[in-house]
Amino acid sequence: MSSTEQGTSSAAPAEPTTAPESAAAPEVPESFYYVHGKDKVVHKVSAGALQHSALIHGMISNLGYTEEQAKANPFPFENIDGDILQMVVDWCNQHKGKPTPPEDTNLPKQKEKLFDLVLAVNYLEIKELLTYCCKQVAMMVKGKSPEEIREIWMIPTDAEDEAAEKEAKKRAGKEAAGETAAAAGDAK
Amino acid sequence: MNFQEALDFSGLQIQKQYPKKHKFPLLKLPKVVLLECIENLDVLEIIPFSLLSKRAKTIAKLICWSPLDICFRFNRTLQICLKLSTDPDRKWIINYKTNYKTEKYPYYIFEKSDSSVSHHFVLNDNGNPAEDSKRMVEHICDVFRSPISDFHIFDESFIEWIINFQPIIRNVLIPNYVVRSIETLDRILKNLKVTENFHLGSIKTDEKYTEPISSRSVTIKDSFWITLPSIINGTNSIIYLYNSIFTPNDLNTILKEWRMGIKLRNLEFLVINISTMLDWGRFTDEVFKDLNPTESNKNVGRPTKVKIDDEITYTLGEEEEYVNLIRSDGMIGSVFNEYAGNDGEKIFRRFMLQVWRRQP
Repeated sequence: MSSTEQGTSSAAPAEPTTAPESAAAPEVPESFYYVHGKDKVVHKVSAGALQHSALIHGMISNLGYTEEQAKANPFPFENIDGDILQMVVDWCNQHKGKPTPPEDTNLPKQKEKLFDLVLAVNYLEIKELLTYCCKQVAMMVKGKSPEEIREIWMIPTDAEDEAAEKEAKKRAGKEAAGETAAAAGDAK
Repeated sequence: MNFQEALDFSGLQIQKQYPKKHKFPLLKLPKVVLLECIENLDVLEIIPFSLLSKRAKTIAKLICWSPLDICFRFNRTLQICLKLSTDPDRKWIINYKTNYKTEKYPYYIFEKSDSSVSHHFVLNDNGNPAEDSKRMVEHICDVFRSPISDFHIFDESFIEWIINFQPIIRNVLIPNYVVRSIETLDRILKNLKVTENFHLGSIKTDEKYTEPISSRSVTIKDSFWITLPSIINGTNSIIYLYNSIFTPNDLNTILKEWRMGIKLRNLEFLVINISTMLDWGRFTDEVFKDLNPTESNKNVGRPTKVKIDDEITYTLGEEEEYVNLIRSDGMIGSVFNEYAGNDGEKIFRRFMLQVWRRQP
């Protein structure tokens, strides 16, 4: 649904080759915006699709960009991997202007991507997709034994938590001591 | 295996049977997202999750779960039965089993009938199910911020525990011969406030008990040890006494006290099973002495069903024979005397008093 093309930088994105298609063309020409992730691949997305994201919707409402300005200034999401942003854009396009179904079959199935997807969706404030993702996370432990839940969700034991906490305190102490020594050196 | 190993899953090591791609570092999520994920868990998934570590329990407690009805009971095995008051047909049951040593513990069972759905989480009892189940109940009450609503004291060792853990409780059931003395019974009744239903099985004693029992509803099997002051000075609404040794004269006293309106003011329904040597005429003469009851008119609005507790409703059909007593506040006491058999010498009777008000 969305088109992508390798961009060179966020300031000068490459022109996307095709526009998203819609079965029933709207009477009023739709506005489009551009987003890119860590990989700088620019995605052209309609304002309607981007309405799913409260973050982007808020940005758009405040900008009042023309199409040209939007092309020249894609929204950079450097903290989101390109393939994850692609999934998000695809989902937003698939659900543009539609009520979201109770069971979403368009969610990505790869569990290894789910964590990054959840973080991205949370950052972009896409409430409905976040709800689906959270259900998917819960489904991972359906009918699983406590040992399996621990393993799948990587829950540390109390002993591991305590060891990690001790380690963090130790590290913080060392850092503080280093800063004090550096400050004393500067004073001399 | 001790409780730590059996139930406190914080000691379990990750067995690394899942490939990395199937793993999800849940605790690295932002807190709001993490909580939304956890909110999607079923009751029997929240419990094992919250037992995995102190941190997991803290997270589980951050969510405002719907309050649970917690029933701690003995039904062939120790069981913790959980349900939501908003969805009483769905139950989550934690079972402690000893008989299936070959099963892989813990495991889940799903049961469905026409009217209800039960999800079972089966744990091996590991030799000390009483202690394990107490710890589990404490944990569940803590995580779900819900009190125990129904408790079966199926062993004397549970008495001190429940008095200390939760001295106010909705329903209590004590099976036969768990209480072995009036002292123990007195300790329970003085330290455990039962707000709704108190069911007591047979107890081994030669002593009598004279104190009132404070629950709204009281059901006592083999109630030979209970005395008239316990009943008359109580504030119970429902009283059900099996195998009582009350005499017809005692029943007459109860009726008189009720009609005077100072005692037994909350009474809605009283059933006393007694045995007597008196024939029907002499029996009723003694029970109604100086009371002048009036013959009942059928279909005058007397309720035909009395709710004893959450599960039991007693039906008093319209065709039953009864007489009425009227109290000064307009309340009607319908008195039923039923023949309940004989042993050749004694006649068994079921004496019932139903209190109701005629609707305008």
